[in-house]
Amino acid sequence: MASSTTSTAITRNQVDLLDFIDWTGVECLNQNTTHPFQNAIKQGYREDEGLSLESDADEQLLIYIPFTQMIKLHSIVIKGPQEEGPQTVKLYTNREHMGFSNVTDFPPSDTITLSPDNLQGKPVVLKYVKFQNVRSLTIFIEDNQSGSDITKVQKIVLQGTTVETTDMKGLKKIEDH
Amino acid sequence: MCLLEADDHLVQRHLFRREQENYRFIFQTLQFLLRFTLFIHQSSTMVLEATMICIDNSEWMRNGDYAPTRFQAQADAVNLICGAKTQSNPENTVGVLTMAGKGVRVLVTPTTDLGKILACMHGLEIGGEMNLAAGIQVAQLALKHRQNKKQQQRIIVFAGGPVRYDKKVLEMIGKKLKKNSVALDVVNFGEEDEAKTEKLEALVAAVNNNDSSHIVHVPAGSNALSDVLLSTPIFTGDGEGGSGFAAAAAAAAAGGVSGFDFGVDPNLDPELALALRVSMEEERARQEAAAKKAADDSSKQGKEGESTSQDATMSENVGASASESENKKDDLMDDENALLQQALAMSMDDPAATVTTRDTDMSEAAADDQDLALALQYSMQEDAKDQSDMSKLLADQSFVSSILTNLPGVDPNDPSVKDLLASMQNQPEKKEDDDKAPKEDDK
Repeated sequence: MASSTTSTAITRNQVDLLDFIDWTGVECLNQNTTHPFQNAIKQGYREDEGLSLESDADEQLLIYIPFTQMIKLHSIVIKGPQEEGPQTVKLYTNREHMGFSNVTDFPPSDTITLSPDNLQGKPVVLKYVKFQNVRSLTIFIEDNQSGSDITKVQKIVLQGTTVETTDMKGLKKIEDH
Repeated sequence: MCLLEADDHLVQRHLFRREQENYRFIFQTLQFLLRFTLFIHQSSTMVLEATMICIDNSEWMRNGDYAPTRFQAQADAVNLICGAKTQSNPENTVGVLTMAGKGVRVLVTPTTDLGKILACMHGLEIGGEMNLAAGIQVAQLALKHRQNKKQQQRIIVFAGGPVRYDKKVLEMIGKKLKKNSVALDVVNFGEEDEAKTEKLEALVAAVNNNDSSHIVHVPAGSNALSDVLLSTPIFTGDGEGGSGFAAAAAAAAAGGVSGFDFGVDPNLDPELALALRVSMEEERARQEAAAKKAADDSSKQGKEGESTSQDATMSENVGASASESENKKDDLMDDENALLQQALAMSMDDPAATVTTRDTDMSEAAADDQDLALALQYSMQEDAKDQSDMSKLLADQSFVSSILTNLPGVDPNDPSVKDLLASMQNQPEKKEDDDKAPKEDDK
C-alpha cells in the first residue's frame, strides 16, 4: 500500500491513513451542513472535484479526527480552489474536543501555510518529530487564500505510518481442546 | 345466616375474579392502543442533548398578564421543558441560569437529575434587568464544559423583559453560537415591542442551522404559557415526532386538563393508567344503568332474596351495594358520588354479565353487609376522584376516534383499529343490555 500521490519526497512506505480514522468520532465545527467534512475526507467523495467541505458562519474550520490506533503523521495534502482554499492551517495532536475559543490556548504542533501548489495536491511535509504518537488530530483552518467568507476544501489526505500496536480485533480466543 | 357470612369472603373473591377476567380483555385492547400511540411518538426523538435554560427574573416578570404572574407562568413552562427533555432521552442533561437580578447566575449546571432542577426553581428573586448577551454567553460556556461531549448543545431563552442590545451585537452572538454548533430556542413573551421582536428574530436567524433553532412568540391571554409551548417545535423537536410526554400532555391540555390525566400516567405506569381509565369508562356507562335501576328497584327493595347459598350471598352483597347506592343517589349532587355509584353498580352488574347459568336474581334483599359495601365504595372512591371530566371524554367515542385520526401512523380505517373501537363501544352497550335482562327476570 504505497502512497498514491505524485512526485517529490514521498518517502518509503508512508500510507494513506484513511483506514485508521475512527469515523464515529470525527467532528467538524462550522461546516455548512450541505457541504460536510465527508466530502473532503471520505474515500470516493474526496476524489470528486465537485464535492467540497465548506465553512458556514465564517471562514474558519475546525476538524477533529480521532484514529483507531497510534500513528505517526508524515505529511498532509490539502486540495482546494485557488481563491477559497485554505491558507493558514494549524495542527494539534491529541487534544480532545477543541473549540474555536481554545485554539489559542496552546501552541499547535505545526503550522503550515498553503501555497497554490499545495492546493493543487502537493503534499506538505510536517515536522515528523512532533507527530510521533498521534491518537487524534485537530485541523484548524484559520483563513483562506483570498480572505473570502467561505473556505472550501476539496480533499484532505493524511500520510504516515502506524505505530506497532496490537490490533485488538485480531486477537482470537484460544480454543479449549 | 352464619353459614352465609362464612362464605362471604369466598364469594367476594369469586366475584372479583370474574370481574378481573372481564377487565383483562378490555385492558389488553386499550393497552395495545395506548402503547401503540406512545410508541409512535416516543420512537421519533431520542436526540442526546445538553440544554441550558435561561430564565428571565427581571422586574418585568411581576406583571400579571400571564396567569398568575409572568414569572410563575415561566416557571411552569421551565418545569415542563425539563421534564420533556429528561424523558425523551434519559441521558439528556438540563441546566438553569438566571439572567437578571444582580447578574447572570447559574443555578444548576447541566444534570440529569430532574429533582435538582425543580428544587433550584424555588426561592428565586425577581429584580433587575435581563442581560441577554451575557446570559447566552454564560450558557454557552456552561455547555462547553458539559461532561458528555457527545451531547448536542442547546440553549433555551425566555425573553420577557425588554432587550437592550443592538441587533448587530445579537447577530454576532448568533453567529458565534452557530459556529460552535449550539442551537438556540427563544420564547418571546412578556413585553411586546416591535424592536424586541425584530432583534430576537435576527438572533435566531443568525443561529439557525437547518431548522434546529426556533423562536416562539407568546402573546398574553387566557392560554397558559406552558400550553402554548406544548405545540411548538421547542417541545416537539426538529422532526414531525414528539416525545411521549408532550403528546400525552397535549392531549390532556386539549381535554381541558393541564398536565396528565391521572398523574404521570402512560409513561410511568401504563397498567395503572389503563385500570383507571377503564374504571372511569365503566362507571360512566353504569351511571345511566344505575339511575334506571335505582328507579325500578326502589319498589323491590326490602323483598326477600330467597335462594341457595351462593346466589343468596351474591345477591345480598349486590343488594347491599345497590341499596347503598340507591340511598346515596337521592342525596347526591356531586359528580364524585355519582361515579361512586357507578362503581358500585358496576360490581353489581358484572356478575350478571358474565354468569349465564346462574340465576341472576337481582331482587334486593335487606342490606345486611353494610360494612362490606362501604369498604367497596371506598376502594372505588380512590379511583373515582377528580376524573369525571376525563371519563366522559374518554367514553365519548367521537372524541376517541378524532384523537386516533390525528395520530400519525394510525389509520382509522385499519380493521384492527376499527375492531378495537367497536369492542370499546360494545362493552358498555353489552353491559347495559345485561342490566336490562336481569330486570326483566325480576319481573
